[in-house]
Amino acid sequence: MKKVLVLWVLLLAGLALAQTTVRVGVLLPISTVAGKAALNGVQLGVEQVNAGGKVKIELVVVDDGNTPATAVPALTKLMTVDRVDIVIGGLASGVTFALSGPVKQYQPLFLCIGAASSVVEQAFSDYGRFFHYHPWDYHNVAAALEFFKYLYENGARRVAILYEDGPFGSAGIQTYRAQLQNQGYTVQAEPFKTGSGNFTAILTRFKAFRPDILYWIGYDVDALPIAAQTRQVGLEPKLIYGAPPAWPVGFEKNRLSNDVAGMTAWLPSVANNESRRFVNLYRRKFGEVTDEYMAPMGYVIALSLGRAVEAASSADKDRIATELAKVQMDTPFGPLSFKPSDTGRTRFQGFNQSIWLQFQYLEGSRRPVFPANRAARPLRYPGNY
Amino acid sequence: MELLLQTLINGILAAGLYALVASGLALAVGVVGIVNFAHGEFSMIGAFVSYLLFVGAGIDPILSLGLAAVVLFVVGALTYYGLIRPVLAAPELNQMLLTFGLSVALQNLALLLFGADTRVLFTPYQGATLALGGVSFGLPPFAAFVLSVGLLVGLYAFLGRTRLGFAVRAVAQNRLAPGLLGIETQRIYLLAFGLSAALAGMAGVMLSVMLYTSPTVGFAYTLKAFAIIVMAGLGNLRGVIPAAIVLALAEALVSTYVPGGGGWVEAVFFLVIFLALTWRSWRTR
Amino acid sequence: MILVGGVLLLALLLPGLPLGEWRAFVLDTAQFAFLISGLALAWDLLARTGQLSLAHGAFFGLGAYSAALLAPGLGTLPALLLGGAVAALFSLLLGLSTLRLQGMYFAIATLAFSEVIRTLVLKAQFTGGSIGLPVQPAFAGAYPLGGYYLAVAVLAICAMVSLLLGRSRLHYAMAATRQGEAVARVLGVSVVRVKLLAFMISAFLAGLAGGVYAMKTLFLTPYDAFGLGRAVEALVIPIFGGLYTTAGPLLGGLIVVSLETWLRLRIGEGYLVVYGLILILTILFLPKGLMGLLARRKGGRHA
Repeated sequence: MKKVLVLWVLLLAGLALAQTTVRVGVLLPISTVAGKAALNGVQLGVEQVNAGGKVKIELVVVDDGNTPATAVPALTKLMTVDRVDIVIGGLASGVTFALSGPVKQYQPLFLCIGAASSVVEQAFSDYGRFFHYHPWDYHNVAAALEFFKYLYENGARRVAILYEDGPFGSAGIQTYRAQLQNQGYTVQAEPFKTGSGNFTAILTRFKAFRPDILYWIGYDVDALPIAAQTRQVGLEPKLIYGAPPAWPVGFEKNRLSNDVAGMTAWLPSVANNESRRFVNLYRRKFGEVTDEYMAPMGYVIALSLGRAVEAASSADKDRIATELAKVQMDTPFGPLSFKPSDTGRTRFQGFNQSIWLQFQYLEGSRRPVFPANRAARPLRYPGNY
Repeated sequence: MELLLQTLINGILAAGLYALVASGLALAVGVVGIVNFAHGEFSMIGAFVSYLLFVGAGIDPILSLGLAAVVLFVVGALTYYGLIRPVLAAPELNQMLLTFGLSVALQNLALLLFGADTRVLFTPYQGATLALGGVSFGLPPFAAFVLSVGLLVGLYAFLGRTRLGFAVRAVAQNRLAPGLLGIETQRIYLLAFGLSAALAGMAGVMLSVMLYTSPTVGFAYTLKAFAIIVMAGLGNLRGVIPAAIVLALAEALVSTYVPGGGGWVEAVFFLVIFLALTWRSWRTR
Repeated sequence: MILVGGVLLLALLLPGLPLGEWRAFVLDTAQFAFLISGLALAWDLLARTGQLSLAHGAFFGLGAYSAALLAPGLGTLPALLLGGAVAALFSLLLGLSTLRLQGMYFAIATLAFSEVIRTLVLKAQFTGGSIGLPVQPAFAGAYPLGGYYLAVAVLAICAMVSLLLGRSRLHYAMAATRQGEAVARVLGVSVVRVKLLAFMISAFLAGLAGGVYAMKTLFLTPYDAFGLGRAVEALVIPIFGGLYTTAGPLLGGLIVVSLETWLRLRIGEGYLVVYGLILILTILFLPKGLMGLLARRKGGRHA
């Protein structure tokens, strides 16, 4: 009996020696949908990494409150009290920008999950330990423009843009307008306040313009009112195309969602092995399927970090960073590897416009319709609104 | 011409939802003298009642209207009994902080229970459209407008025609020194606060149909509802619908006729309030 | 007085205390707590005339934006002062037009003012609009503790002004105005002057706090800088701590922020439920706020 115990202890000690342990800070707005999904994804990924046995990641999770006044002290606490060397976080652009100061001060390896604004790219341009996974806003614009080019080939000529007047909606609006006009479109753009639920007046204004495409850049709260009120004022566009970061729960069951198109980085129905694997693992752990692409994004960050730590077989942040820069792996979004960003401002950019796909709500679910190589169904154009 | 007509209709119908949220608030301020920051959270509870009944039991939101009113009446009465009654004698600011605390607690309790997700229902009539000549408008906003007019007319009738109504008005006009509050007065406060919450609940059901359901759904309209009842004159129920219509029309006209006007809607809404308040204050004296 | 001095002394000495690994976190949190407490003190000054303002978020924001825009050209301190001055100027305009409004009418008028200002900042080009405005750290980052001590200074100035006003003749004029303008006039108080003066001092201090806030967060957006949440916080804290006092908003601010931070670290998800409940219980059992509790301890003296 005693012998067995001693053997066990030796075995465990041996395992512990072979195992590299790192503490990782997670700084996310956990009371928002996207932040919660991201956290779930990170935790799921870490579970996978730890199950492999060679690397042990310990998470210290802190709420960034979605505001700089909370996020800055929270990062400080991670760095000085919890003494982590690696931080996963930076979902909202404004918050991430505010973090740029303390990040440079404490010099962690910063794995950035969101923050698409190129203002953030400038803020981190001289920081060498910054790994940005999410595409930048110019990637998002490029992906949407490709879709618009395709629509132009299908006869669309006039675009009405509804954009929310916060940073999310307004950031790319000038670029959009100019680029769409370059493509040959006539454009009319109107701002709105997200969550107001009242679009009839603006949509009535658009009526005289007779748009082929109603393109809205806003949030999930605007989805149903826009779909309903477009019909109610009799706007009759040929396509309602939206780009919110998330869609409302249950929208697909509502008949008003039919034919509405949107852009996302990932759908649970995406047909690649990593995506299927992720969906299964997620369902097993959380008992549901998530639609939020921030969940697989968090998962990918955790997995890639696990690989880098294993390759470095050290908890040193710079050795891990060196290995992370070399990581090449398949993910639910497609292949991941780090390259300098298109503007050359940051050195380690993970994904680009190629992860975006266009989908359409068809018969109660979202189906990829563009680009052609990833489409499950042809785009219904003109749609019926 | 047709555009103008359509714009006017858009504005007037948008006023329906504003007035619906504002009416309950006006009742609480007018009769009990309480500025209830948690009014929006009462609406949020109404929206969740509607959503959960729909998803869980397949009950149509139209039927939930009555149920939500009953549930929220009880919530309102309990709130009055447990929280408001003890502070009736306290300064107005204390009452405000109390209802603010309630608002924070309820909103975050909902967040804990249901998550931050935006949820939508699916009924056959959410996109239903009525067309008359060249103008068209949605059935749900129209229903919300009719509902709020109906409820307010019913409320006037109750206050003006019934014995209990007289008592309510008497109490409202003559807030006795709270130490001397009679049992009768207490009961009327309870009734008024319960009714106020019930109105919020019904507004919440309409929100769940026309917009969405989430822990923060109450907030957007409550801020504007506050502004509306202040513009109408605190406690003046009759002023609620006219004030809502003026403001909603201002919003609609700006959005439709001014390029980029959608971004100025909030500013115009509050500018009208500001001008109305200051103009009135300088005129009367 | 002793309490206020003690808090300020502690604030000054805090960076030197042996806080161990928590030092940086405590300093960061304290800096935001000082600024919010300063804002609360400023709000309370106006409240002493009986005016309930929801514009203090806007004054904070105006100070923040002005200081952020002026700092690169003028240097940190002049920019901060000018930020306060800009806020005071706007408060003069607002105060003149709302002189005759009281209670909720005044509150909603000030709310309307905030919303209009926010939209203007959102639409303007030179403010960075909705994208936001990057801000330089205080003194261009030359002193690591520069921002911290600026926040301490703001808090000290707010507390001093609050204390001095509490002992001046103006104090009685303000109290009289609060209790009834007609009576105040009979007593020979120039109600208009008192209200405008209180409004401008109050807005100046709020703007000052906003400027230091900007230099700490390094990034401003209209929805953050002019958020209604901050206006509400400015009123929650004095009520929680004790209205019309100096120690009330000061302690209230430090306790509310610490409580919120502690709950967030302790409970995580859903901590705001507890926060809301604490506010409710405070009102139910401490109608005069924390100062009421202290006064009771001292034997029922009036707070």
